[in-house]
Amino acid sequence: MIPDRIIEQGTLTTDGTRTSVEVRLPWYRALPASCIAGAKLTVDGVEAPADSLRWEMNGKTFTFAELTPNTEEWWFPTDSAVLSGDIATPEDGEHTVSVELVLYIPYIVIGADEVLHIEEKDTKTMSARKAVAA
Amino acid sequence: MTALGTPIQGVTLYSFTRAFHGREYDLEGLIRKAAAENFGPGLEIIGFSSFRGFPEIDDQYAGWFKDLIAETGLVTTSLAVNADIGIHRDRLLTQDELLEYMRRQIAAAAKLGFPIARVQISITPDSMEALAPIAEEYGVTLALEVHADQYASHPRILALRDRYEKVGSPFLGFTMDWGATVSGFAPSLVEAYRRRGASEELLAAVTGLWDEFYQQGPPADQADHGQRFGRFIGLAAQYGRPDLGIDMGINATGLFGPARVDDWLEIFPWIKHVHGKFFGIDDQHEEPSVPVRDLIRLLVENGYNGAISSEYEGWHWNSWQSPFDIIRDEQAVQRSAAEAAGSHMTRDAATARTQLAQWLPSTTGAKA
Repeated sequence: MIPDRIIEQGTLTTDGTRTSVEVRLPWYRALPASCIAGAKLTVDGVEAPADSLRWEMNGKTFTFAELTPNTEEWWFPTDSAVLSGDIATPEDGEHTVSVELVLYIPYIVIGADEVLHIEEKDTKTMSARKAVAA
Repeated sequence: MTALGTPIQGVTLYSFTRAFHGREYDLEGLIRKAAAENFGPGLEIIGFSSFRGFPEIDDQYAGWFKDLIAETGLVTTSLAVNADIGIHRDRLLTQDELLEYMRRQIAAAAKLGFPIARVQISITPDSMEALAPIAEEYGVTLALEVHADQYASHPRILALRDRYEKVGSPFLGFTMDWGATVSGFAPSLVEAYRRRGASEELLAAVTGLWDEFYQQGPPADQADHGQRFGRFIGLAAQYGRPDLGIDMGINATGLFGPARVDDWLEIFPWIKHVHGKFFGIDDQHEEPSVPVRDLIRLLVENGYNGAISSEYEGWHWNSWQSPFDIIRDEQAVQRSAAEAAGSHMTRDAATARTQLAQWLPSTTGAKA
């Protein structure tokens, strides 16, 4: 379901040690933070260490462990979230960016106490912008 | 003899998911577009798709929304809601939590002016029974969606029907989704797989297998369903495209339900709302895989007077055609079919409002 839209073209940003990209929800309706179950961020074949990943949504930044119990923050279908991790991306040249997302779909029951989860992947090529200190 | 029905024409904004998600239209723009294209008067919306912060709707927002609906001459028919039973990752909601979760959405439907809330199969007969007083309190009919991969005579749906009969509340019913009674594998999806490099041999095998299952009728149970799913995955692997297998299985068994049109008669008196699910339009301006004309005839001849939301689902794979053109053509097929059945579709907003008010139960509850 529109997985080709996961990565927002032209949003790769790096400060030399951390790299981020804007991602879109590959689903038709808003999902709560609790249903954003996992992600991978890879630039030019280098995958960010899982414990370095952060998820920024609605102006707040979360670790994936913090997303799991959170049913207050929602990812609206027209909003970008920002996925970042420890990758030293050179500012010059084109880069191949891949994002994998694992999402739980909380109303599609597939077992006695289990709901559907989907795994979606997108890869795009783009240049990197230098991060500006906030 | 039953008087012929005059279904209310309408659309669900779900049909335009790709345009909304792609930020081509915001909610207001999409509603204005639907009105300008004359896709109404009926308008269905999915709460969690379109309303930020749903199901919390404040008075100011509800006022803005109702003014917009009045200005555009549309008639709100159904608000699609979701029972997010798995919202906590470590456990499912308890019955009490589920009822409270649904109460908030039913309240939102009432506040926004929708007389129906579309609910889904994850809600059990016990939960529907417990929700009936809440539905009555807010004056909102709960119309549970009968969607592929199930169908009207599926044991789960019959169990719900039997419970409705026992409970006796006019606020419980079904949404008929045409995806349960599809007659062919959608050609637009074949074209999408072709564009992804699937061989003609694989495409012929997939449509052939779907036709074989259609001849057999819908799957008897979830185990049978699972077996069919596996057969599509096997075909994709056999023809060298295992990467397409799950996608083919999901669509072939989860979107294209092979029950016959007459199957709807099992639950007909409880059908309160219709999703005119379809997947595309061919060069002759007909829907090649959903028997729209037969479905309209069934509805008209059995006196259906509720709304039909044209629900275009081909947007999942069809990025090369305009969903607005496709909706326009499908609605023309519906109107032509209603006329062929000796009736017509209701298109005037005032008539639609009156007709819907007569079709659905009303309540004098304080919150209605």
